[in-house]
Amino acid sequence: MSAMIESDKPPRAAPDRPAGGLRAMLSMSPLAAIMAAVLILLMLPAVIYLVQSSFYETKFDGSFGAFTFRHYVELFTNDRFLKNLVNATIYASGSAAVAIFLGVVQAWIVERTNTPGRSFVLIISIISLGVPSVLYTISFLFLLGKTGPLNQLLMWMTGSATPVFNIYSLWGMIVIEGIEFAPLSFLLLSSVFRSNDAAFEEASMMSGAGIVTTFRRITLRLALPGVLALLILIFIRAFESFETPALVGRPGGVNVLTTDIYAAIQVEIPANYGQAGAFSVMLLLIVVVLLYWYGQLSRHAEKFQTITGKGFRPRVMDLGRWRWLTAGILVLMFFVIIGFPVGIVFWVSLVPYYDGVHMAALKLMSFAHYGTVFTSNMFQGSLANTLILGAASASIVAPFTALCAWFAVRRQKGGAVLDQLASLPLIFPAIVMGVAYLQVFLHMPILYGTLLAIIIASSVRYLPYGMRYSYAGILQIHKELEEASALSGARQATTFLRIVMPLVAPAMVTCWLFVFLVAVKAVSVPILLAGPNSQVVAVTIFDLWQNGVIGELSAMGIIWTLMMTTVSVGFSLLARRYGLNVR
Amino acid sequence: MSKFLRIPRSALPLMAGAVLAFGLIAAPPSIPAAAAQDALLYKGADRQKVLEAGAKKEGKLVIYSSLTVNQALRPMVQAFNKKYPAVKAEFWRGDTRQISQKVLAEIRANALQADVLESSGLGQIMVAAKMLEKFSSPLFAKIPAQFVDKNQLLAPSRFSYMGTAYNTKLVPTGSQPRTFEDLLDPKWKGKLAWRAHSESGDQLFVINVLQAMGDQKGEEYLKKLAGQKIVNFDGSARTLVNRVIEGEYPVALNIFLHHPLISAGKGAPVASFPMEPVPSIAGHLMIPKGVKRPHAAMLFIDFYLSDEGQNVLRKAEYYPVVSHIRPEENIAAVSPRVANLKENYVNVEDMFEFDKKATAILKKYFY
Repeated sequence: MSAMIESDKPPRAAPDRPAGGLRAMLSMSPLAAIMAAVLILLMLPAVIYLVQSSFYETKFDGSFGAFTFRHYVELFTNDRFLKNLVNATIYASGSAAVAIFLGVVQAWIVERTNTPGRSFVLIISIISLGVPSVLYTISFLFLLGKTGPLNQLLMWMTGSATPVFNIYSLWGMIVIEGIEFAPLSFLLLSSVFRSNDAAFEEASMMSGAGIVTTFRRITLRLALPGVLALLILIFIRAFESFETPALVGRPGGVNVLTTDIYAAIQVEIPANYGQAGAFSVMLLLIVVVLLYWYGQLSRHAEKFQTITGKGFRPRVMDLGRWRWLTAGILVLMFFVIIGFPVGIVFWVSLVPYYDGVHMAALKLMSFAHYGTVFTSNMFQGSLANTLILGAASASIVAPFTALCAWFAVRRQKGGAVLDQLASLPLIFPAIVMGVAYLQVFLHMPILYGTLLAIIIASSVRYLPYGMRYSYAGILQIHKELEEASALSGARQATTFLRIVMPLVAPAMVTCWLFVFLVAVKAVSVPILLAGPNSQVVAVTIFDLWQNGVIGELSAMGIIWTLMMTTVSVGFSLLARRYGLNVR
Repeated sequence: MSKFLRIPRSALPLMAGAVLAFGLIAAPPSIPAAAAQDALLYKGADRQKVLEAGAKKEGKLVIYSSLTVNQALRPMVQAFNKKYPAVKAEFWRGDTRQISQKVLAEIRANALQADVLESSGLGQIMVAAKMLEKFSSPLFAKIPAQFVDKNQLLAPSRFSYMGTAYNTKLVPTGSQPRTFEDLLDPKWKGKLAWRAHSESGDQLFVINVLQAMGDQKGEEYLKKLAGQKIVNFDGSARTLVNRVIEGEYPVALNIFLHHPLISAGKGAPVASFPMEPVPSIAGHLMIPKGVKRPHAAMLFIDFYLSDEGQNVLRKAEYYPVVSHIRPEENIAAVSPRVANLKENYVNVEDMFEFDKKATAILKKYFY
């Protein structure tokens, strides 16, 4: 296969060697240069602020004091940093492993087998992405806490007087975060599995290999770059995640890098931006190393291209009687990822106060919290903002990253730069990004406090996710289709619009949907950037959580989840009508 | 590493351009020298008229506050807008840290938006940063004297009384800890929780003990208390009370005493106990340095402290700050003023004085 590709190498492909600064600039296509300039303009000030803050003392009013190396010296003379680094690594790799495992199993069952009811899995993912993460994490604390139904059940079964397990621990964080990322993992992997040419699997089966062997040696191997890319993405995302470590880890005494950043900014008085900056720069360096590693991994991605000019048709495998087992697995997953978490939130939304799941509470149930949500105008002013924020961010990120990814995958001049730049926002823990962008927008009074500022920041924030969707999508398309287009006389732009876009459309639609759903539920960035007229719903939900109003929070969460599910189901139906296969 | 290192080089001209462009956009806007002091400290007989006329000219008002939006903040701002339709009042809700980050950043960038700030715990940050304007209102006379700030930088906006919450299923009323000494009973080992790293949580608990017992006896007591393995809870006071209701923790220290009362009113198995001396703190109204709309700001502060504003606060189950308006009946029982309990009001100066000491003790014995 690789021999075939070697001989296919078109003369047009740019040689992969470094070019001098200005010359490379000039030889970049104007479009790529403009895109790179936009990205740099959007990110550089924030990066500068971050690095700068790590070298200065912070004064009481938040301005910079004297120059110092103190923050770095403290990092390395204190064993807390090392300890938290180890915690963060275990937590991030554990979560990534859990998420990938759940994602691979679902994606394979859905895309490559004839399991009954498999198309419903999409709904799991869409609902789950619509649940605000704070609420999702809380729902697992309800489920798995000391007084939660699972512990109660185990105590009853084992006759133990004390709770059987403690969710406020490292493994608790791993399980919760892993499950939270399972839908993302499924969505990304299903596009990988879907576009693998079934011919290889058929050949394997015909040569006498069983389903398991075929899955292990062919399907999984072909999906390898996608899986690895996703592994790194989830690792990084978990590494810099905040909600789960804060809500699950900190009460159990498990600290990671982000909770220390949080403590430096949100707990200490005055906010210690210096220490937070030093931590963030360390995070940045770690992520840079990971991204470099990722770049190395995807270098040989060509070997894995399977959508070629020859009759491409992914095909499903007949599992025979085993398909009922896989159907059972899907049902189980449905309950773990959506059924139980949403179920318990629904329960909490019906009772006047939550004190565990038991029969006595049934008598107290009412829709009172829903009444409160509707009569107290909780969505007032923020609903339209939120939908605009989501739609605008998604509409910026999806086409922008498709272009970036195409430049990168095809090794066009400037492609590598664009790829790295678009992945750069991953270095910002959300909480640091909020502060950094606050500084940036303050210097642009026209933008400060407007919805546009939040849209810009959240588009930047979700670029890396868009990149992974688009990258995975474009990686699968063999260049011979574009070469055919070029040979027939089409220009680069025409080729991109008429050949590449239609082929990556499903990936882009999923990308749009994903960015929409994550952008509308983000809290850390909008909370600082919003002004009086640009409030968003997720911040309201977060406020309710802070004030501990869990009944109304749950009612609002259920209503919001329903709305988001409607939006995304509607969107995918619409997309399907126009011939886009959104899975 | 070569692949990654290549970026800066090839992108160098772009970056230079970006910095240049950013520098141009970022040029600080000029600010008009605000003669705000006159309006903020105006005492003339025509005060109401002067403020209204000035506010009308300013046309707008921006409030940053951490009051709950649906119960208190929005009704308060709406009531103000109804009374003064010529001033368009807007609010932004954030917690203490978010307000301080936002407003300090605005001041540094010469782009101040906020005219009035309201939060608890924010006072000490803003006072230390020296970023507040002096102001005065005739309505200060209606607030008990000990809560009025001598430096004229803060006005109390709400009171909070702190104490113990306990789960009545796990700890039947009567057997709850009633004194500091009770907390040392071995039966409470591992069953007590407080909010760690919180000014009104563990920090205030320690300050209250130090003030009540003196530094030395206080530290000895806290050392013993550390042996009880108090759970360091990370989250809001209200959330901690919810955990007590769920039975996760039988007893919580230094939560807002009225929260359990509100839940108990709905039938939740929880009660509160004011352990004397009851530490109390105040939220504050403040005016940020360089305020752009001083007349509108003062008009709002007057409104907030008026009977009309205080009743909005009362209905939202906050404790009013003026003496002649009683809190809602369901939460009155734990107000030291109403229930005649020994109160220890910890003001901003106390917070400063004890902050380092309390943090050191917490780090040494509890974290």
